[in-house]
Amino acid sequence: MRVLFCALAAGLGFLAWGPPAMAHHSGAAVFDNTKKIDLTGVVTKVEWVNPHAHFYIDVKDAAGKVTSWNLELASPSILVRNGWKRNSVKEGDMVTVTGSRARDNSNFGIAQTIVFPDGHKLNFLSAFEDGK
Amino acid sequence: MTRQLIAFAGAAVAVVSLLAQGQAPAGDAKGKGGAGKAGGKAGNVGLYQRQPPTPTGPAPKLADGTPDLSGVWLGGGSSDADISRSLKPGDSVVMLPWAEALVKTRQSKDDPESNCLPAGIPRGSPYPWRIAQTPGIYFIVFEGNIHSWRQIFMDGRKHPDDPELAWYGNSIGRWDGPTWVIDTVGFKDKFWFDYVGHPHTEKLRTIERYTRTDLGNMSIEVTIDDPGAYAKPFTTVGRARIMAGTELLEYICQEDNFDLQHISGPAQGPGGATR
Repeated sequence: MRVLFCALAAGLGFLAWGPPAMAHHSGAAVFDNTKKIDLTGVVTKVEWVNPHAHFYIDVKDAAGKVTSWNLELASPSILVRNGWKRNSVKEGDMVTVTGSRARDNSNFGIAQTIVFPDGHKLNFLSAFEDGK
Repeated sequence: MTRQLIAFAGAAVAVVSLLAQGQAPAGDAKGKGGAGKAGGKAGNVGLYQRQPPTPTGPAPKLADGTPDLSGVWLGGGSSDADISRSLKPGDSVVMLPWAEALVKTRQSKDDPESNCLPAGIPRGSPYPWRIAQTPGIYFIVFEGNIHSWRQIFMDGRKHPDDPELAWYGNSIGRWDGPTWVIDTVGFKDKFWFDYVGHPHTEKLRTIERYTRTDLGNMSIEVTIDDPGAYAKPFTTVGRARIMAGTELLEYICQEDNFDLQHISGPAQGPGGATR
């Protein structure tokens, strides 16, 4: 994702590139910003682990074929400081996830946004939608 | 994605970039609107949102008059992305030819930090760390990356003649007025200074200078002297600030380092930049 609003949002006067920093490695070394994902499916598993939490969703295509995706979040320590709980996403939830796919084209991606049917949203780092 | 989310993501990345440069975001550095006083506004602290205001007031001292550096800090001495972004004005990083050649061949998957090994000195991270001062020995305890610790001997001893080599070296400390000075030798040549792969050798010596400039803020200068890899010493400039609303949390990087098998490409910063 090319981030266009960061200067305004941060008041810092410069642009930056996503996906967000991964803290212990370059995000760009894992995920390809040009390979966008937009997936809707049912959560089948949540792994609240370090260095990154993950959740898995089953995505069904028009032909009924189901594909499992592994989607990555920040570390639990970052997430809980930003309002996430370990059950903010749980098995059985229907979610729509946007983000970027792994450079190796596996069914692995960074979950930059997670939208629930009732409209509430989470993202890779935070449960606070306003970024404040 | 809503505009708010885009804005948030931008803010987060921007702040991380600053953190990676070893600097707290200027807009938040001293809190917002009388931080630390009643009515001070909460705000972003690095990656962390809605955090209590950075406390304000004079730098505290222990009962014996020694500067009190204890607390949970966020920030660091140099850029996680590229140490050359953190230099003292007028300074430069001049690698020896072998080091320059090595950096060009390094791969992101081989960065020790990606492999859940210590980040070394002075590489920053977006995770907080704690200074604990006990008689004769101080500790720096890191949440990440990775869960690890340093011990700095404050009892006046000298370095051993032939120190056991270690990821964090052998550290002795002293006070220079308000500034805590840490002298470290005896490094293994393992850690990288940054994502782009600046190397070092066992000849590395670091001199760190920590000055708590007020209750909530600390300046950090680190001189890197490694004649085995660099043509001349250089000094990084960073800073940290108290993270008032938290304690250290668990971050066991080795628990499930799933990403490693998916990392590819040359050693690169968060935005893909290489040396």
